[in-house]
Amino acid sequence: MPAMTALEAPRSRASMSPAVMRKAIVKPSDATRVRRRRKSAQTDTAIVERLKNDDQEALETVFDLYSKKLYNVAQRILGEAADTEEVIQDVFWTVYRKAKFFKGDSQLSTWLYRLTVNAALGRVRRSKKKKEVEYEEFLPKFQEDGHHRVRPVVDWSDTLDEKYAQREIQALLGKALDQLKPLDKSIIILSDLEGLSDKEISATVSLTVSAVKTRLHRARLFLRGHLAVQLGHSAA
Amino acid sequence: MPTAKRASRTNANDSCKKITDLIFNYLTDRLTPPVRTEFERHLRICPDCVNFLNTYKKTVSLSGSLGTREIPRNVRRTVLAFLRQKMHRIVVLFFSLLAQTTA
Repeated sequence: MPAMTALEAPRSRASMSPAVMRKAIVKPSDATRVRRRRKSAQTDTAIVERLKNDDQEALETVFDLYSKKLYNVAQRILGEAADTEEVIQDVFWTVYRKAKFFKGDSQLSTWLYRLTVNAALGRVRRSKKKKEVEYEEFLPKFQEDGHHRVRPVVDWSDTLDEKYAQREIQALLGKALDQLKPLDKSIIILSDLEGLSDKEISATVSLTVSAVKTRLHRARLFLRGHLAVQLGHSAA
Repeated sequence: MPTAKRASRTNANDSCKKITDLIFNYLTDRLTPPVRTEFERHLRICPDCVNFLNTYKKTVSLSGSLGTREIPRNVRRTVLAFLRQKMHRIVVLFFSLLAQTTA
Protein backbone atom coordinates (compact mmCIF):
# COMPACT_ATOMS: atom_id res chain seq x y z
CA MET A 1 0.00 0.00 0.00
CA PRO A 2 1.50 3.38 -0.97
CA ALA A 3 2.41 5.74 1.87
CA MET A 4 -0.25 8.28 2.73
CA THR A 5 0.52 11.89 2.13
CA ALA A 6 -0.58 14.55 4.59
CA LEU A 7 -3.53 15.50 2.45
CA GLU A 8 -4.69 11.90 2.23
CA ALA A 9 -4.53 11.34 5.96
CA PRO A 10 -7.80 10.06 7.37
CA ARG A 11 -8.32 12.86 9.90
CA SER A 12 -10.63 15.75 9.26
CA ARG A 13 -10.77 17.42 5.87
CA ALA A 14 -7.33 16.25 4.96
CA SER A 15 -8.77 14.23 2.08
CA MET A 16 -10.05 17.37 0.39
CA SER A 17 -8.21 18.68 -2.62
CA PRO A 18 -6.27 21.91 -2.06
CA ALA A 19 -8.67 23.71 -4.39
CA VAL A 20 -11.58 22.75 -2.18
CA MET A 21 -9.65 23.67 0.95
CA ARG A 22 -8.92 27.10 -0.47
CA LYS A 23 -12.61 27.87 -0.88
CA ALA A 24 -13.19 28.34 2.83
CA ILE A 25 -13.36 32.11 2.83
CA VAL A 26 -16.57 32.83 1.03
CA LYS A 27 -17.14 36.38 -0.03
CA PRO A 28 -19.40 37.48 -2.88
CA SER A 29 -17.85 37.05 -6.32
CA ASP A 30 -16.50 40.13 -8.09
CA ALA A 31 -19.45 40.14 -10.52
CA THR A 32 -21.99 39.97 -7.69
CA ARG A 33 -20.11 42.66 -5.82
CA VAL A 34 -20.10 44.94 -8.89
CA ARG A 35 -23.85 44.37 -9.50
CA ARG A 36 -24.70 45.11 -5.86
CA ARG A 37 -22.40 48.11 -5.82
CA ARG A 38 -24.02 49.62 -8.94
CA LYS A 39 -27.50 49.18 -7.51
CA SER A 40 -26.57 50.60 -4.13
CA ALA A 41 -24.57 53.41 -5.75
CA GLN A 42 -27.70 54.56 -7.62
CA THR A 43 -29.71 54.53 -4.39
CA ASP A 44 -26.88 56.20 -2.47
CA THR A 45 -26.43 59.00 -5.03
CA ALA A 46 -30.13 59.82 -4.83
CA ILE A 47 -30.08 59.81 -1.03
CA VAL A 48 -26.98 62.00 -0.84
CA GLU A 49 -28.57 64.50 -3.24
CA ARG A 50 -31.63 64.66 -1.00
CA LEU A 51 -29.44 65.13 2.08
CA LYS A 52 -27.61 67.95 0.35
CA ASN A 53 -30.96 69.61 -0.15
CA ASP A 54 -31.70 69.36 3.57
CA ASP A 55 -34.29 66.67 3.07
CA GLN A 56 -34.82 65.46 6.63
CA GLU A 57 -36.59 62.29 5.54
CA ALA A 58 -33.46 61.32 3.64
CA LEU A 59 -31.58 61.08 6.92
CA GLU A 60 -34.20 58.69 8.23
CA THR A 61 -33.86 56.67 5.03
CA VAL A 62 -30.09 56.43 5.60
CA PHE A 63 -30.80 55.47 9.18
CA ASP A 64 -33.17 52.70 8.11
CA LEU A 65 -30.69 51.39 5.56
CA TYR A 66 -27.50 51.47 7.58
CA SER A 67 -28.17 51.79 11.32
CA LYS A 68 -28.18 48.04 11.97
CA LYS A 69 -24.82 47.50 10.27
CA LEU A 70 -23.22 50.53 11.90
CA TYR A 71 -24.65 49.67 15.31
CA ASN A 72 -23.13 46.20 15.10
CA VAL A 73 -19.73 47.54 14.02
CA ALA A 74 -19.67 50.10 16.85
CA GLN A 75 -20.97 47.60 19.39
CA ARG A 76 -18.28 45.08 18.52
CA ILE A 77 -15.52 47.69 18.72
CA LEU A 78 -16.77 49.25 21.95
CA GLY A 79 -18.55 46.48 23.79
CA GLU A 80 -20.52 49.09 25.75
CA ALA A 81 -24.18 49.64 24.84
CA ALA A 82 -24.34 53.25 26.08
CA ASP A 83 -21.22 54.28 24.17
CA THR A 84 -22.55 52.57 21.07
CA GLU A 85 -25.77 54.57 21.19
CA GLU A 86 -23.84 57.83 21.44
CA VAL A 87 -21.56 56.86 18.58
CA ILE A 88 -24.50 56.05 16.33
CA GLN A 89 -26.17 59.31 17.28
CA ASP A 90 -23.01 61.29 16.46
CA VAL A 91 -22.48 59.45 13.19
CA PHE A 92 -25.94 60.18 11.81
CA TRP A 93 -25.86 63.77 12.96
CA THR A 94 -22.49 64.18 11.21
CA VAL A 95 -23.99 62.66 8.07
CA TYR A 96 -26.72 65.27 8.06
CA ARG A 97 -24.35 68.17 8.70
CA LYS A 98 -21.55 67.08 6.36
CA ALA A 99 -23.51 65.60 3.47
CA LYS A 100 -22.83 68.78 1.49
CA PHE A 101 -19.12 67.97 1.57
CA PHE A 102 -19.55 64.37 0.45
CA LYS A 103 -18.07 64.35 -3.05
CA GLY A 104 -18.92 60.78 -3.90
CA ASP A 105 -15.27 59.70 -4.27
CA SER A 106 -16.12 56.69 -2.15
CA GLN A 107 -19.38 54.83 -1.61
CA LEU A 108 -21.82 56.20 0.93
CA SER A 109 -21.42 52.99 2.94
CA THR A 110 -17.63 53.44 3.08
CA TRP A 111 -18.10 56.99 4.40
CA LEU A 112 -20.55 55.74 7.02
CA TYR A 113 -18.26 52.91 8.09
CA ARG A 114 -15.37 55.41 8.29
CA LEU A 115 -17.35 57.77 10.50
CA THR A 116 -18.44 54.91 12.74
CA VAL A 117 -15.02 53.28 13.08
CA ASN A 118 -13.33 56.66 13.73
CA ALA A 119 -15.93 57.62 16.34
CA ALA A 120 -15.70 54.25 18.07
CA LEU A 121 -11.89 54.19 18.02
CA GLY A 122 -11.83 57.76 19.36
CA ARG A 123 -13.94 56.66 22.30
CA VAL A 124 -11.73 53.65 22.93
CA ARG A 125 -8.67 55.94 22.97
CA ARG A 126 -10.31 58.33 25.42
CA SER A 127 -11.52 55.59 27.73
CA LYS A 128 -9.36 53.87 30.31
CA LYS A 129 -6.70 51.94 28.55
CA LYS A 130 -6.88 48.21 28.92
CA LYS A 131 -3.59 46.44 29.31
CA GLU A 132 -2.70 45.29 25.82
CA VAL A 133 -1.98 41.64 25.27
CA GLU A 134 1.28 40.80 23.53
CA TYR A 135 0.44 39.28 20.16
CA GLU A 136 3.65 37.25 20.12
CA GLU A 137 2.32 34.96 22.81
CA PHE A 138 -0.45 33.74 20.51
CA LEU A 139 1.29 33.76 17.14
CA PRO A 140 2.75 30.61 15.58
CA LYS A 141 6.38 29.89 16.44
CA PHE A 142 8.94 28.36 14.16
CA GLN A 143 12.31 26.69 14.46
CA GLU A 144 15.35 28.23 12.82
CA ASP A 145 14.83 26.05 9.74
CA GLY A 146 11.30 27.48 9.43
CA HIS A 147 9.34 24.42 10.58
CA HIS A 148 6.68 24.55 13.30
CA ARG A 149 8.30 24.71 16.72
CA VAL A 150 5.55 22.72 18.45
CA ARG A 151 4.65 19.54 16.63
CA PRO A 152 2.29 18.04 15.88
CA VAL A 153 0.03 21.00 15.20
CA VAL A 154 -3.40 19.93 16.45
CA ASP A 155 -6.37 20.28 14.12
CA TRP A 156 -9.17 21.28 16.48
CA SER A 157 -11.36 22.62 13.68
CA ASP A 158 -13.46 19.47 13.35
CA THR A 159 -13.95 18.71 17.01
CA LEU A 160 -14.81 22.25 18.07
CA ASP A 161 -18.47 22.03 17.05
CA GLU A 162 -18.82 18.62 18.69
CA LYS A 163 -17.34 19.66 22.01
CA TYR A 164 -18.84 23.11 22.43
CA ALA A 165 -22.23 24.68 21.96
CA GLN A 166 -22.45 27.52 19.45
CA ARG A 167 -22.88 30.05 22.24
CA GLU A 168 -19.74 28.80 24.00
CA ILE A 169 -17.73 29.02 20.80
CA GLN A 170 -18.94 32.58 20.22
CA ALA A 171 -17.97 33.46 23.80
CA LEU A 172 -14.47 32.04 23.25
CA LEU A 173 -14.09 34.00 20.04
CA GLY A 174 -15.53 37.14 21.61
CA LYS A 175 -12.94 36.89 24.37
CA ALA A 176 -10.17 36.56 21.79
CA LEU A 177 -11.55 39.48 19.73
CA ASP A 178 -11.53 41.69 22.82
CA GLN A 179 -7.81 41.09 23.21
CA LEU A 180 -7.04 42.50 19.77
CA LYS A 181 -5.76 46.03 19.33
CA PRO A 182 -8.80 48.23 18.55
CA LEU A 183 -7.73 48.99 14.97
CA ASP A 184 -7.07 45.32 14.23
CA LYS A 185 -10.40 44.41 15.78
CA SER A 186 -12.09 46.96 13.52
CA ILE A 187 -10.39 45.43 10.47
CA ILE A 188 -11.50 41.91 11.43
CA ILE A 189 -15.06 43.15 11.96
CA LEU A 190 -15.16 44.97 8.62
CA SER A 191 -13.67 42.01 6.78
CA ASP A 192 -15.02 38.86 8.37
CA LEU A 193 -18.33 40.13 9.75
CA GLU A 194 -19.28 42.85 7.30
CA GLY A 195 -17.69 41.23 4.26
CA LEU A 196 -15.93 44.36 3.00
CA SER A 197 -13.13 43.95 0.48
CA ASP A 198 -9.55 44.83 1.45
CA LYS A 199 -9.85 47.92 -0.75
CA GLU A 200 -13.04 49.07 0.98
CA ILE A 201 -11.45 48.49 4.39
CA SER A 202 -8.40 50.43 3.27
CA ALA A 203 -10.63 53.41 2.39
CA THR A 204 -12.50 53.05 5.68
CA VAL A 205 -9.53 52.94 8.05
CA SER A 206 -7.17 55.08 5.94
CA LEU A 207 -4.46 52.47 5.56
CA THR A 208 -2.93 51.06 2.40
CA VAL A 209 -4.43 47.83 1.07
CA SER A 210 -1.15 46.10 1.82
CA ALA A 211 -1.22 47.30 5.45
CA VAL A 212 -4.82 46.11 5.78
CA LYS A 213 -3.89 42.64 4.50
CA THR A 214 -0.92 42.40 6.83
CA ARG A 215 -2.97 43.46 9.87
CA LEU A 216 -5.84 41.18 8.92
CA HIS A 217 -3.58 38.15 8.55
CA ARG A 218 -1.78 38.87 11.83
CA ALA A 219 -5.05 39.44 13.67
CA ARG A 220 -6.42 36.15 12.34
CA LEU A 221 -3.25 34.35 13.41
CA PHE A 222 -3.69 35.89 16.86
CA LEU A 223 -7.34 34.84 17.07
CA ARG A 224 -6.46 31.34 15.92
CA GLY A 225 -3.70 31.08 18.53
CA HIS A 226 -5.93 32.49 21.26
CA LEU A 227 -8.67 30.00 20.43
CA ALA A 228 -6.14 27.16 20.39
CA VAL A 229 -4.89 28.12 23.86
CA GLN A 230 -8.44 28.45 25.22
CA LEU A 231 -9.12 24.95 23.87
CA GLY A 232 -6.09 23.60 25.68
CA HIS A 233 -3.66 23.41 22.76
CA SER A 234 -0.50 25.26 21.86
CA ALA A 235 -0.84 28.52 19.95
CA ALA A 236 2.06 27.37 17.81
CA MET B 1 3.64 39.37 5.18
CA PRO B 2 0.96 38.36 2.69
CA THR B 3 2.07 40.25 -0.38
CA ALA B 4 2.25 39.07 -3.94
CA LYS B 5 5.83 40.34 -4.26
CA ARG B 6 7.00 38.14 -1.46
CA ALA B 7 4.88 35.29 -2.71
CA SER B 8 6.66 35.33 -6.06
CA ARG B 9 9.96 34.49 -4.34
CA THR B 10 8.66 31.26 -2.90
CA ASN B 11 10.31 28.09 -4.11
CA ALA B 12 9.95 24.35 -3.78
CA ASN B 13 11.80 24.16 -0.45
CA ASP B 14 9.17 26.14 1.39
CA SER B 15 9.29 26.01 5.13
CA CYS B 16 6.19 26.00 7.31
CA LYS B 17 6.88 29.65 8.19
CA LYS B 18 6.73 30.68 4.54
CA ILE B 19 3.56 28.65 4.06
CA THR B 20 1.97 30.37 7.06
CA ASP B 21 2.86 33.77 5.57
CA LEU B 22 1.15 32.77 2.32
CA ILE B 23 -2.11 31.46 3.81
CA PHE B 24 -3.88 34.80 3.47
CA ASN B 25 -3.20 35.09 -0.25
CA TYR B 26 -3.83 31.38 -0.82
CA LEU B 27 -7.31 31.56 0.66
CA THR B 28 -8.18 34.64 -1.34
CA ASP B 29 -6.82 33.14 -4.55
CA ARG B 30 -4.09 35.72 -4.95
CA LEU B 31 -1.10 33.43 -5.33
CA THR B 32 0.48 33.12 -8.75
CA PRO B 33 -0.07 29.63 -10.25
CA PRO B 34 3.54 28.48 -9.65
CA VAL B 35 3.50 29.67 -6.03
CA ARG B 36 0.12 28.04 -5.48
CA THR B 37 1.45 24.77 -6.89
CA GLU B 38 4.41 24.91 -4.50
CA PHE B 39 2.11 25.81 -1.63
CA GLU B 40 -0.12 22.82 -2.35
CA ARG B 41 2.92 20.58 -2.83
CA HIS B 42 4.05 21.51 0.67
CA LEU B 43 0.59 20.72 2.06
CA ARG B 44 0.81 17.23 0.57
CA ILE B 45 3.87 16.42 2.64
CA CYS B 46 3.25 18.45 5.80
CA PRO B 47 0.35 17.42 8.08
CA ASP B 48 1.24 20.23 10.49
CA CYS B 49 0.58 22.86 7.83
CA VAL B 50 -2.64 21.12 6.77
CA ASN B 51 -3.82 21.23 10.38
CA PHE B 52 -2.67 24.82 10.76
CA LEU B 53 -4.54 25.80 7.60
CA ASN B 54 -7.71 24.05 8.81
CA THR B 55 -7.67 25.87 12.14
CA TYR B 56 -6.93 29.22 10.43
CA LYS B 57 -9.92 28.71 8.13
CA LYS B 58 -12.09 27.66 11.05
CA THR B 59 -11.15 30.86 12.87
CA VAL B 60 -12.15 32.98 9.87
CA SER B 61 -15.45 31.17 9.44
CA LEU B 62 -16.18 31.55 13.17
CA SER B 63 -15.52 35.30 12.97
CA GLY B 64 -17.92 35.50 10.06
CA SER B 65 -20.61 33.60 11.93
CA LEU B 66 -20.71 35.90 14.94
CA GLY B 67 -23.81 37.35 13.39
CA THR B 68 -25.49 40.70 13.63
CA ARG B 69 -27.90 41.86 16.26
CA GLU B 70 -30.92 44.03 15.70
CA ILE B 71 -30.52 47.57 16.94
CA PRO B 72 -32.53 47.66 20.21
CA ARG B 73 -35.90 49.40 19.84
CA ASN B 74 -35.22 51.88 22.63
CA VAL B 75 -31.89 52.84 21.04
CA ARG B 76 -33.55 53.31 17.68
CA ARG B 77 -36.25 55.47 19.24
CA THR B 78 -33.76 57.57 21.23
CA VAL B 79 -31.43 58.19 18.29
CA LEU B 80 -34.25 59.10 15.90
CA ALA B 81 -35.78 61.44 18.49
CA PHE B 82 -32.37 63.09 18.97
CA LEU B 83 -31.92 63.58 15.22
CA ARG B 84 -35.43 64.95 14.69
CA GLN B 85 -34.97 67.39 17.55
CA LYS B 86 -31.64 68.60 16.18
CA MET B 87 -33.05 69.01 12.66
CA HIS B 88 -36.07 70.85 14.03
CA ARG B 89 -33.78 73.27 15.89
CA ILE B 90 -31.90 74.01 12.68
CA VAL B 91 -35.14 74.77 10.84
CA VAL B 92 -36.31 77.08 13.66
CA LEU B 93 -32.92 78.82 13.70
CA PHE B 94 -32.99 79.23 9.91
CA PHE B 95 -36.44 80.87 9.92
CA SER B 96 -35.61 83.15 12.86
CA LEU B 97 -32.48 84.32 11.03
CA LEU B 98 -34.51 84.79 7.86
CA ALA B 99 -37.07 86.85 9.76
CA GLN B 100 -34.34 89.02 11.25
CA THR B 101 -32.71 89.75 7.87
CA THR B 102 -36.00 90.57 6.16
CA ALA B 103 -37.31 92.71 9.04
